[in-house]
This record gives sequence, structure tokens and C-alpha cells, in this order.
Amino acid sequence: MKVESKNIIIDPGLAEEIKKRSGENVFLCYQCKKCAAGCPNRKFMDASPTELMRKVQLGMTDDAMKDNTIWYCLSCQTCTARCPQDIDIAHVVDTLRIIVQEKGVKADTKNSRLFNMIWMKMLRFTGRIYEVALTGMLNTFTGKPFKDMDLGIKMIKSGKLKLFPSIKRTSEMMKMFKRAKKLKK
Amino acid sequence: MKIAYYPGCSLHSTGIEYDMSTRQVCSALGIELAEIKDWLCCGSSPAHQCDEVMSVALPAKNLALAKQTTDSNEVCAPCASCYSRLKIAQQKMQDPKTKKDIEQVIDTTCPDDIKVFHMLDLITEKVDDNLIRQKVSKPLKDIKVACYYGCLMTRPPKATGKDNFENPSDMDRLIEIIGAEPVDWNLKTFCCGAAFALTQTDVVLDLTRQILQDALASDADVISVGCPLCHANLDMRQQQINKKFNTDFNIPIFYFTELMGLSFGVDPKLLGINKHITNVNDFLEERALL
Repeated sequence: MKVESKNIIIDPGLAEEIKKRSGENVFLCYQCKKCAAGCPNRKFMDASPTELMRKVQLGMTDDAMKDNTIWYCLSCQTCTARCPQDIDIAHVVDTLRIIVQEKGVKADTKNSRLFNMIWMKMLRFTGRIYEVALTGMLNTFTGKPFKDMDLGIKMIKSGKLKLFPSIKRTSEMMKMFKRAKKLKK
Repeated sequence: MKIAYYPGCSLHSTGIEYDMSTRQVCSALGIELAEIKDWLCCGSSPAHQCDEVMSVALPAKNLALAKQTTDSNEVCAPCASCYSRLKIAQQKMQDPKTKKDIEQVIDTTCPDDIKVFHMLDLITEKVDDNLIRQKVSKPLKDIKVACYYGCLMTRPPKATGKDNFENPSDMDRLIEIIGAEPVDWNLKTFCCGAAFALTQTDVVLDLTRQILQDALASDADVISVGCPLCHANLDMRQQQINKKFNTDFNIPIFYFTELMGLSFGVDPKLLGINKHITNVNDFLEERALL
């Protein structure tokens, strides 16, 4: 949304991009606040899910992408399940997250960008998630290499952590990722 | 009854007790689990947060593998996240264009006629209550259980097909059948924070504290779960919560399959109960279940 003296320009560009990518029509939202009321993580968010939907409707792209709201979404699907207009709000949030990551928008993603990147890279080469390496890499890159070390030791003692990764279908996986990338273009 | 089994990454490590107890309970109930050969990760949350195509392609690939390697039209996933991703992928592939695109990515056809079950649904829908009753040799008398469903066993209802998603009751009914007493409580479908445990632990500590608090306030002795991430957060984080919020939680967290196994008289070691981080031995000894 642009405000220039007396003229307010509403930019539907972001809403259109979300519609194109996800099929979700944010203009159906009439701001009933049911999503905000049920959101378990609302208190950590700059703006509630309802406010986020409004910002997307108005084309306030910068706010929608840089508020921490989308990065505090737990994907718990409560908003989606309760929306009286049948908007898959969690899917709208996911789509915003994808746009931010794909376009490399500068935003404080609360380490989610890093976490997602490590996860998908690992998947591409090993086919399955190896939790020891995932946690180790994440903690190292975020500068907290000893985070949850006490838990890790307890888990190893009780046989809850695998000591070696299992690697499955690497070549099939790499081909799938390649074809998916081609499809997106 | 033979069924394709999709354990998922967690059940091979942090949720190993869930895998062990599931196998024990299924074998007692005459369900043959045929593990999908060389199954792949479902992509879980990171996939749907950063790659829409792969978030559908990975579950689709596993459904195709289920058909190819086990020749079964039914797949069972104990992990709520895997279950949800499989269900959502099926929902998305109802659109013919999406299905065509995804099949191109996975380079094989994805069968339409596969039915996906969560482990809880499999037991409550496909197994006769009386058969379960017959197997109970040590009823879990006087144990009050808070049945915790979390998010993805029931939501989003459009994908899971559950119409009682605000107040599910299947696990409560199952817990009653094995002799324990399900309690009424508020947070049975609240979120535990899931994978935020790794990126933003504070969020998980806060949400998990609310769940533990509400279960205690409702007079529950234990919490029963059906998701490896819920279990990890509730079971492993209690000490950190106690330190941060100055509380005194020490609540045993069980998978519903572990409780079933205990009531069937299966050796607790075979159910993996010794692997919990929050000590459950004292509780089991006190209730003469060891």
C-alpha cells in the first residue's frame, strides 16, 4: 500500500502472487480474528495472523515479509481449520515464507532459513534425515555448538540417537530435486 | 491384515520407543506391518516451508514405493507429521494438473487408491474393540491419562477427513478399553512447538509448560501421545522447563502404543520404556506395572 498525500494506492501484486502460487484467495478474509484468537504463538508475533492477512490484501509487501509473524508460525493448522471463509491461512504463510527464501529477501527468519536449507540439502544426498548431523550443523552455524549437549548425551546413552546415518536412494533423490527445480521454472 | 508401514525418520532415532511398541502391539493384534523398502523422508515442515513441489513429491514418492514394494493399498504412518504430509499430498493431487506435474517429478505413477492411516486410526477403526479387550491381561487400573492429540493427527480436517478435530476422542476411548481413565482437559489439540525445539527452544518451553500444567491441573497421572515430536518435547524438556519457570514437573509421557503394550503384559524393555528421558520407572513400580 502506498500513501501519497490524499491518494491511497492499494497494490494487489502480492495477493496475486500468492493466489498464483498457492491458489489461496486472501481477499475472502473479512477480518473476523478467529485465526488470531486461536494462534498458540500469537504473543511472540509482531502482527497477528489476521493483521498479516490484511497487510497482504493491501499489498503491504514489506511489512508482510519482514514482520516476524511468518517465522513464528508453528504450522499447527489451527487457523486453517477454523477459518469461516475456508482460507488455508497456514498455506498463505508457507507461500510467503517461500517467496522470502526464494527471492532472498533480507528478514530475520529466526534461523528457519538456515534450518530449512540444511534439512533440504541433507535430504537431497541422504534421502532421510539424520538428526545428529542436523542438530550439530544447526547449532554450529548459529554459534551455539554446545546447545542441548546434556540432552544429547542422555539420548545417546538410552539409544535414542543413531550413531550412523542411513543413506537411501541418493541418485533418485537428486534427480527428483533436479526435475522439481525445472518444473518451477 | 497386512499393511504397508511407513515409520519415518524419527521412529528410527528419537522416537525409537514408538517404533518398538507399535511393532509389539501390532503383532499382538494380528496386524502384519510390511515396512516400505528404502522409504524416503516425507519432507516434513522444512519442505512445505521452502519448496512447494518437493513437499508434495516426497510423500507421493513414498506412496508409490508403498504400492511397489509391499503390494498393499493401505499405508500406516505412526508419526503425525508424516501422516499429515501423506494426507495433504493426496489432497493436493486430486487436482489433475498437480498430479501430472508431481508424477513427472517422481518419475512414476502415484496410485490414487491408497488409504493412509495414522497408527491410532488403524487401531481404532480396523481392529475390533473386543479383540483389544481380550488381549488386555494387566488392565491399567486407576491410572488417569491425559490424551494428547497435538496438531497434525486431526488437522487440517480437509486433508485428514476428521470432523471432530476440535475435540477428538478416539484415543480416550482406546485408553478406556485398556482399563485406564481418560481425563477431560483443555489442551488436547494444542501445539507443542514441534521442530521449533531446535530453532527457537524458548517457544517450545513456553507451549510445553502450558500443556504439562493443564494436564496436571486436570488430575492426570500421565500424558499419552501419538507423535514422536510431541513426545520429544514433552518428555525431554521437563527439566529445562523446571529450571526456567521454577516448576516441578515430573510427568511420565507415554506413547499410546506403550500403554497398550503394558496392558497386554508385554515386557516394558521390548516396548522401549527404559529409553525415556523423564523417569517413568518409579511410576511403573508404584503401579505394579514393571
